[in-house]
Amino acid sequence: MRIVFLVAVLGAAIFYSYIAFADLNFMTRTGRLGPGFFPRIVGLTMVAMTLLAILDALRDRARVNAGGAPGADDAPDGRWRDFVLLVAMALGYAVLIRLFGGLVSTVLYLGLALALLNPGRHLQNALVAIIFPACVYLLFDRVLNANMPPALIDLPF
Amino acid sequence: MDIFSDLVMGLSIAITPINLLYLLIGAMVGMIVGVIPGFGPSAGLAILLPITFGMDPVGAIMMLAAIYYGSMYGGTITSILLNTPGESATVASTFDGYPLAKNGRAGPALVMQAVASFVGGTVGVILITILAPMFSQVSRSFGPPEYFLLAMMGMLTLLVMIGSNWKLGVISALIGFALGTVGVDLETGQGRYTFGSAELIGGIYFIPIAIGLFGLGELFYAFYSGMHRHGSGGLVQYSKEQRFWPTAEDYISTRWTMLRGSVLGFVVGVIPGAGATIASLMAYSTERSLSKHPERFGKGEMAGLVAPETANNAASSGAMIPLLTLGIPGSASTAVLLAAFLLWGLRPGPLFMEQNPEMAWGLIASMYLGNMVLLAISIFAIPLFVQIIKVPYRILGPCIVVICALGTFTVHASFIELYLMFAAGIVGFFMRLYGFSPAALVLALVLGPLAEEALRQTMTISRGSFGIFLDRPASVWIICVTAALLVLLPLLGRIGSGAGKAEKAGG
Repeated sequence: MRIVFLVAVLGAAIFYSYIAFADLNFMTRTGRLGPGFFPRIVGLTMVAMTLLAILDALRDRARVNAGGAPGADDAPDGRWRDFVLLVAMALGYAVLIRLFGGLVSTVLYLGLALALLNPGRHLQNALVAIIFPACVYLLFDRVLNANMPPALIDLPF
Repeated sequence: MDIFSDLVMGLSIAITPINLLYLLIGAMVGMIVGVIPGFGPSAGLAILLPITFGMDPVGAIMMLAAIYYGSMYGGTITSILLNTPGESATVASTFDGYPLAKNGRAGPALVMQAVASFVGGTVGVILITILAPMFSQVSRSFGPPEYFLLAMMGMLTLLVMIGSNWKLGVISALIGFALGTVGVDLETGQGRYTFGSAELIGGIYFIPIAIGLFGLGELFYAFYSGMHRHGSGGLVQYSKEQRFWPTAEDYISTRWTMLRGSVLGFVVGVIPGAGATIASLMAYSTERSLSKHPERFGKGEMAGLVAPETANNAASSGAMIPLLTLGIPGSASTAVLLAAFLLWGLRPGPLFMEQNPEMAWGLIASMYLGNMVLLAISIFAIPLFVQIIKVPYRILGPCIVVICALGTFTVHASFIELYLMFAAGIVGFFMRLYGFSPAALVLALVLGPLAEEALRQTMTISRGSFGIFLDRPASVWIICVTAALLVLLPLLGRIGSGAGKAEKAGG
């Protein structure tokens, strides 16, 4: 996975450098440093450093395969599952916010997340899922007069 | 005398009922942020920054600064009671803090850490009061070449401190620089990496990235580490029946430790990139080598707790010097504080104290008061923090996601920024997992545009010649100091990590 992440960074770095060379000028017409000066340096350095890091990661993998130290991906059971679950719920929350606005989506999200992460404690979960969003709403919307996300779909309640 | 009258003016600004309330809230929130394992001041500041938007600038900056140094106080509570540092700067406090708690001295350890934090923080603020105007005076002669070099110094020293993972640190910084180039180029008006999107014309905003990397990224990592699977309640080494107050011997035996830790911590804190973690480990190591009973360290020696505590609080004060007088943050936390200043239309730098004396001296004065407030909270609210530690991560986690999401949205009411924050959270998790440095990314994101602007101005002044960096005495000085730091900091880091390894080996 580490190599996959580094390859993704390398892809982004190559794309960034391509734009810097293709679309952004190194110098302006008046002979000053142009908008492409800094991005070209940053892009090329990033490509070079990422390639070096990929080489290191390949060497590490070879060492692990030969029976050396464990890699970062060798996580104990269930850790990736918990991470994926939390990320999926967080992304689901992002969608819910767009659809139902800040307050309702927070109640729904907390209700579901706590039911999955803190199973069996229905009263505790229900109280947190209602009281916490209410407090956040009061703080942001009433006390601080800040923007709460508006709902795309108006609910009847 | 000038400093004294400026300080009195600062106190008159800081001591208003509403500002004191903000200070109290900031100190309390900072301590809570510090208490939550895995969440450092950068995460707390980034998440809570949007909450300050409705406030007046002086109160908001006072509150954010209180969150910043308050988290140093709070981070130690879990170090002592749980053997789990609330953040990296309090790792050294576990070496003797937890053994003290296990020996039935949790109460005295908590009180002494509060006193040590107070002494470190206050000595740090006294040194800021004296030194900040002097730094300001010196840096007034700085121009674009010096600013570029200072930005590079901040980045390089941070990268050097990353150690063996320096390549990944450099990549992290380059990602930050790259993100900093998105938006309209201010000199030519040409769009860069905007891909026709109106949302990207103004650039990638700092707050969603910082909240995502530090807030969500750390949370995802905590879940990956399995912190949500066990409650911490049973592990807490604290009982109301145990003796609470330290003995006179505890105070007397550590009086010089406090002074040494404070001065050492402040000096290390001023160096960009070094920070509170190195300061606390160095102070611990120094104290053990000076002690008549080094064999007691790691087994519940009060000086082993007091030294890192004074140092990390003094270092967090010291880190305010480059921020206020040069406009250069030396760490991720001070980068978030810089972003807060910029949000309020304030540009820290050589002229900051002269042009915004109310803000600068109000902030410094508030730090004196903040340390007093934190001392009181640290001692009298210990039972409350013990209860907070017992809240399981599986309940805390989803609530933190909510604060991150709604906090991000409130800044610009932008759904794009909200999605960007979630994306930064996922990237932040992988960065943390594979040894990248989210701190370097955030620092580069803040310093990148400043560095680019300064470099282009420098090249315009010099007509494209890099020789300008060697022609100006101030630039040459900065280059020399940077070179010296690049040699010295790895040595200091080795001293610090040596202390950590020795304690681990010792049990």
